[in-house]
Amino acid sequence: MEDMYVKPGNQERGWNDPPQFSYGLQMARGPQRNPLNKRAAPPTSSGAEALPAATPSCNPMAPPMCGIAPPPLPARLPPDGMATPLTRTGQMRVQREADSSQSEPDMETVMSVLNRALDACRSSVKGPVCNEVAKRLRLLEDSWRCGKLSLPVTRRMDTLTQELQAGNWDSADEIHRSLMVDHVTEVSQWMVGVKRLIAETRDLSPELLKPFQSSARPESAEPVGDSDPEQELEPEPEPAGRAPQPEQRLQAPGSQS
Amino acid sequence: MSTYQEFIQQNEDRDGVRCSWNLWPSSRLEATRLVVPVSCLLTPLKERPNLPPVQYEPVLCSRANCKAVLNPLCQVDFRAKIWACNFCFQRNPFPPSYAGISEVNQPAELMPQFSTIEYIVQRGPSAPLIFLYVVDTCLEEEDLQALKESLQMSLSLLPPNALVGLITFGRMVQVHELTCEGIAKSYVFRGTKDLSSKQIQEMLGLTKPAAPGQQGRPVAPQEAAATCRFLQPVHRVDMNLTDLLGELQRDPWPVPQGKRPLRSTGVALSVAVGLLEGAYPNTGARVMLFIGGPPTQGPGMVVGDELKTPIRSWHDIQKDNARHLKKATKYYEALANRSAVNGHSIDIYACALDQTGLLEMKCLSNLTGGHIVMGDSFNTSLFKQTFQRVFSKDYNGDFRMAFGGVLEVKTSRELKVCGAIGPCVSLHSKGPSVSENEMGIGGTTQWKLCSLDPSTTLAVYLEVVNQHNAPVPQGGRGAIQFVTQYQHSNTQKRIRVTTIARNWADAQSQIQHIESSFDQEAAAVLMARLGVFRAESEEGPDVLRWLDRQLIRLCQKFGQFNKDDPTSFRLSESLSLYPQFMFHLRRSPFLQVFNNSPDESSYYRHQFVREDLTQSLIMIQPILYSYSFHGPPEPVLLDSSSILPDRILLMDTFFQLVIYHGETIAQWRKAGYQEMPEYENFKQLLQAPLDDAQEILQTRFPMPRYVDTEHGGSQARFLLSKVNPSQTHNNLYAWGQESGAPILTDDVSLQVFMDHLKKLAVSSST
Repeated sequence: MEDMYVKPGNQERGWNDPPQFSYGLQMARGPQRNPLNKRAAPPTSSGAEALPAATPSCNPMAPPMCGIAPPPLPARLPPDGMATPLTRTGQMRVQREADSSQSEPDMETVMSVLNRALDACRSSVKGPVCNEVAKRLRLLEDSWRCGKLSLPVTRRMDTLTQELQAGNWDSADEIHRSLMVDHVTEVSQWMVGVKRLIAETRDLSPELLKPFQSSARPESAEPVGDSDPEQELEPEPEPAGRAPQPEQRLQAPGSQS
Repeated sequence: MSTYQEFIQQNEDRDGVRCSWNLWPSSRLEATRLVVPVSCLLTPLKERPNLPPVQYEPVLCSRANCKAVLNPLCQVDFRAKIWACNFCFQRNPFPPSYAGISEVNQPAELMPQFSTIEYIVQRGPSAPLIFLYVVDTCLEEEDLQALKESLQMSLSLLPPNALVGLITFGRMVQVHELTCEGIAKSYVFRGTKDLSSKQIQEMLGLTKPAAPGQQGRPVAPQEAAATCRFLQPVHRVDMNLTDLLGELQRDPWPVPQGKRPLRSTGVALSVAVGLLEGAYPNTGARVMLFIGGPPTQGPGMVVGDELKTPIRSWHDIQKDNARHLKKATKYYEALANRSAVNGHSIDIYACALDQTGLLEMKCLSNLTGGHIVMGDSFNTSLFKQTFQRVFSKDYNGDFRMAFGGVLEVKTSRELKVCGAIGPCVSLHSKGPSVSENEMGIGGTTQWKLCSLDPSTTLAVYLEVVNQHNAPVPQGGRGAIQFVTQYQHSNTQKRIRVTTIARNWADAQSQIQHIESSFDQEAAAVLMARLGVFRAESEEGPDVLRWLDRQLIRLCQKFGQFNKDDPTSFRLSESLSLYPQFMFHLRRSPFLQVFNNSPDESSYYRHQFVREDLTQSLIMIQPILYSYSFHGPPEPVLLDSSSILPDRILLMDTFFQLVIYHGETIAQWRKAGYQEMPEYENFKQLLQAPLDDAQEILQTRFPMPRYVDTEHGGSQARFLLSKVNPSQTHNNLYAWGQESGAPILTDDVSLQVFMDHLKKLAVSSST
């Protein structure tokens, strides 16, 4: 899931800058599983001798305070104590974007789809607009050729063109948005051309669209037509999740009802 | 008790309303004696995924000065097809379209589960959303680059038909013409000269100077749209605008050593407000101001350009030594009011290490429902993600923003409206239900909310009319109707109607019932808003004294005690948390300015008076969770005794998320136990608060700062300054045991605070 990640904030420029969530992760967010909105009631809101309830320092589980004893071993612990699985979506510290081992998408393939989409538009879209789009497609091609585009960008562009060719406009548009949000520095100069291309092809009549869609992708063997949208866009399935936490609220021992 | 808690929760879920009292006292005198006013927090556009809007107009009461909306509290005669208004008792015939109604065939608005209902009404042409970017170019290169990219990115998040415009400013102000082709043109204004709205519109060619008769009402929106080259649909100009943004340069005027750049924020805003005023009056629009420093010239100047003169501090203000404060504030207030009249809201995104003048400019956002975001740099995740979230969408794929809201409060005869506190302005709508006793923004039953979102929350204060010798008869219910008209982000006109009712109770014989109907969370927030509202105009100590006085009176009224015996003092469960909330509120940055700049105080208060109950309460008393090997994460006291060596703490203050590793945990982490397979459980323990923090980070607006620290870490001060200092260097050894962490402070602890409170409450002399 290369579009689901969290990367650290910019500590150089922002004091205690929060981590940054990728577009995919933001969109996949479900309802909050575990809202932390409970408060412990004061120990005795009434008694004058309202001392804080101190936890006994000689807890059997805790290591002695002097020196550094190891943490308790899991075998000796009830497993339900802490049950956050490690496979959770966003680990706060790692950017997992570049660790995939897939191969680099083919530039020619991606460009040819975009250029053919532009060709399909030429008969109905105004000339200057087409030229502007063409200018940006050239920019894209140049940056790709010079190796200025990172693997996640080229991969998502590959998926985007597949969706475009399959007529999945919303999905293509969504990928464009995710690229703008996650990789704006790399893509901002030319992406707006791709965005316009998606919008214009969406409006094309079926006849004009036909030649563009029917031409098979030069190198991809698998059909892209009605196949399910790229798995990249699916929200990451939730793992079993942490053990449900009992709704708990510390009761005020001293308060009376 | 649980029944009242359920009742409160249900009502909040359904109506977005939390009342301080859920039984209302039957006379004015008794209401006054309850100390906390009859009042409520209202979230007009609370998200209701299970409430599909209905596609017809609401049915209104025919009495001219009532016009209440038909609701489940109305009595209906199905045979005669007549309904009686529950506010004015007028009998109204149903409109012809309701001919088919019967007991078994009722329209939604009569069913009890639709005490909140939303109508889609078609009125006038639908107008596109408008976003006008006003961009400071006196930024460092890195910041300007990041801001440009964020703005380019935002073009992909806007709806394609939204209108967008661009004004940039430094020493001069440039209004950019947006066209699809040809050379980019811009209109340049001097940053030192204040111009009237009319002058601005003439200079931009928005009005034909030959037609002076149109004064006040410049041109019809459609006409203007055709001529307004400065605001164009995103889908038409996004390519050119992307280039235009990409080519933006830092302000070219040289900045001599020892000087600040000349920043004409005042004129830039004046041009933005004037442009929208001329082109799109009474249409939802957002001016988005991005600034990297204070206004330094022209009208609205906050500080001079000499770096040796620092920007005003609280100290300067107290000594009446802030030269530009009054004039600048007045200038921005005038702009804010003009903008509010036209229904346009103004956001401020201020990213700089020093102050940027939010104190003077806050009214721009506070009066128009705009956002204020305060960050260190535009090249931070805090700014970038907060900005992204301005364009976040709801479960229907619609933007979480609404425009041109008008809230009207209707009350049954026994109640009058004292005022409201929130991101709104008065519409000066007088009427029989307006109280003379103003609380917050009063003297009206209608307020305008130029921009609002699903969490925007208003505090509404009421008073009971009936005199002590003629109380409201028992057995009846008082009712309030909130009617919110607004422009949905999909450009539909909508009306949300919420009608609530509460029973009247005799405060003499039923005081215990009234007491158990007390919603201490709502009450804390409602009182806090009054306090913060006062703090804007009164001295800090006076506000604290007022809050203390209210708290003591409340404790005198509801505490059980023997006279002059503090040890006998008891509070019932429905009030048990309230003193604690007040204790933390007194220490909060909303009332204490120490350690905060005037800008920070303005920012914190801005956020506080608009958020819903849950978020407001987090701001008053931060939430603290503890993670350990002893069990699942649990809420713990916001107290120094909760800081233990073998715990990890997660504190949420709304503005900051702090993860604090206790001493032992920190040592284990340093020793790397989490890397060893046999200590998998430790790794999981470390991960758990990170995951929970992530959940909060993904929903919070604006993004909070994020602190990951440990025992002895310098950043631990965020935690230490918030917990109740029950153990300090002064009393540590008196405890006879070592637990928790002593705080080096002379601040009063909750225990001492409570002792004093009890003493004062039971004293026969107060």
